[in-house]
Amino acid sequence: MGIQQRALMGGILVALMAPVAGTWLVLRGMTFFGDAFMHGVLPGIAAAVLFGFSPMLGAALAALVMVVGLEVVRRQTALREDAGIGLLFVGMLALGVVMVSKTPSYAGSITSILFGDALGITPQDLRTQAVIATLVIGLSIVLHRPLITMALHEGKAAALGMNPRLANGLLLAMIAMSVIGSYRTVGTLLVFGLMVGPAATASLFARSVRQMMVLAVTIALFSVVIGLVVSYHLSTAASATMGLVPVALFFILLTVQQIVVNVRRRGVAHA
Amino acid sequence: MPETSQEVDTPHAVEATDITLAHGTFVALAKSSCHIPAGRVTAVIGPNGSGKSTFLNSVTGLIVPVGGTLAVLGQRPVDARPRVSYVLQNVEAPVDLPLTVRETVAMGRYASLGWFRRLRSTDRDAIDAALERMRIADLAHRHLHELSGGQRHRVLVAQGLAQEHDILILDEPLAGLDVVSAEVIDGIVHDTGDSRTGDRRTVIHTTHDLSEAAAADHVILMGGRVVAEGPPDEVLLEEHLVEAFGTRGLHPPVD
Repeated sequence: MGIQQRALMGGILVALMAPVAGTWLVLRGMTFFGDAFMHGVLPGIAAAVLFGFSPMLGAALAALVMVVGLEVVRRQTALREDAGIGLLFVGMLALGVVMVSKTPSYAGSITSILFGDALGITPQDLRTQAVIATLVIGLSIVLHRPLITMALHEGKAAALGMNPRLANGLLLAMIAMSVIGSYRTVGTLLVFGLMVGPAATASLFARSVRQMMVLAVTIALFSVVIGLVVSYHLSTAASATMGLVPVALFFILLTVQQIVVNVRRRGVAHA
Repeated sequence: MPETSQEVDTPHAVEATDITLAHGTFVALAKSSCHIPAGRVTAVIGPNGSGKSTFLNSVTGLIVPVGGTLAVLGQRPVDARPRVSYVLQNVEAPVDLPLTVRETVAMGRYASLGWFRRLRSTDRDAIDAALERMRIADLAHRHLHELSGGQRHRVLVAQGLAQEHDILILDEPLAGLDVVSAEVIDGIVHDTGDSRTGDRRTVIHTTHDLSEAAAADHVILMGGRVVAEGPPDEVLLEEHLVEAFGTRGLHPPVD
């Protein structure tokens, strides 16, 4: 496979897993948390690059620090949860950059972690991504009932014995895995675009959770292909272009939806 | 039928002994004892903040008493959970949640199916029956955000009915409803099943409304603690009501 094909394969794998995790973030109203969480794993990945251990392990450790930190803020203060999320988000991002700045090739490393390096994907990266994508999709199937019940009401989910604490923990693992499986291709900063962008767009049209996921994955696949083609012809950064397309699509489709709704309403008024 | 003869042959569905319920350092229900007779309708009445909802949350095991003992169907509340169906107050479904009425009602079956077991024909029958009883079968494929407030509340009650249960708990089931929804839900509140077949279930509901409480078999009056409990005509007396509703002492210190 050539460089471009590997970039495309990497993008496709991201498009298969990120929107699945993103759908749950949107349904649970946790997108801000998800965003912060994604940047929060940066120091873990940075430490792994710096000390030469598995980025997976590093990200998992950083995720754990985030969760414990949020729990401390929630228990010890009267601050609302978003304050804690915002605080940890900035702190972890800064810590990550501080750690990376100790490496000899500072600028190169930080750019590739934050913004990805789609054209630098290796066959080994692709194999890891494929395994992670399978795990993410598998977890989403396993967690379907608890997560959908929690999206309706967390207390009701607990009363139904859906074990919301365990489900929440596994959802975090699912998000962390999606970030780890995606950052090589699109970067930790931009993975959010492919995770939440397609899911948010799909929620404008979907009539069921399954439909929402299928639509989100389709939009993400489209974004990856369009992003790569555009970046190839305009010589723009491949990862950033891939991250930009779904967000642009959201606003375009939102406008289309609003127009359709208005036209229908006018039709009803004239009938 | 006289209260005493019933209480001898029916064991208590819920037995609370000296329980204290708190959210952090805030005591919602000071040390109190009360019971809920099995196979009857119990109304828990009291003003806002009197501890009613907190008490229901403890019966369903969502919060654990900081003191005292609480037995539900002779078990710890958490262990009794699969047999207790809890209809929450005013669940505002997120607008973008792509769930149909039927899918929402089906969640009631998760209590017995867990995360993985598939819906079988008995589950589907229970869902259909619940939809029929709440008169929302024609809305089965609508989305939650396409319903009126009253219809949405009937969906949540149907979700509670779809779950197999010995105890049905409804938190303020009649607050702010349209006439049709109130009538349908009131029918559920006062239906404890057939006494001849022995197929009886316990209903617990909370209310602000004195006439609604008077229609129950057993009343627990709350005002930061259990002020009185027993048959409606013994509990709904002026002296008790003034104590629970008319004074500012909702949270008197623990003895």
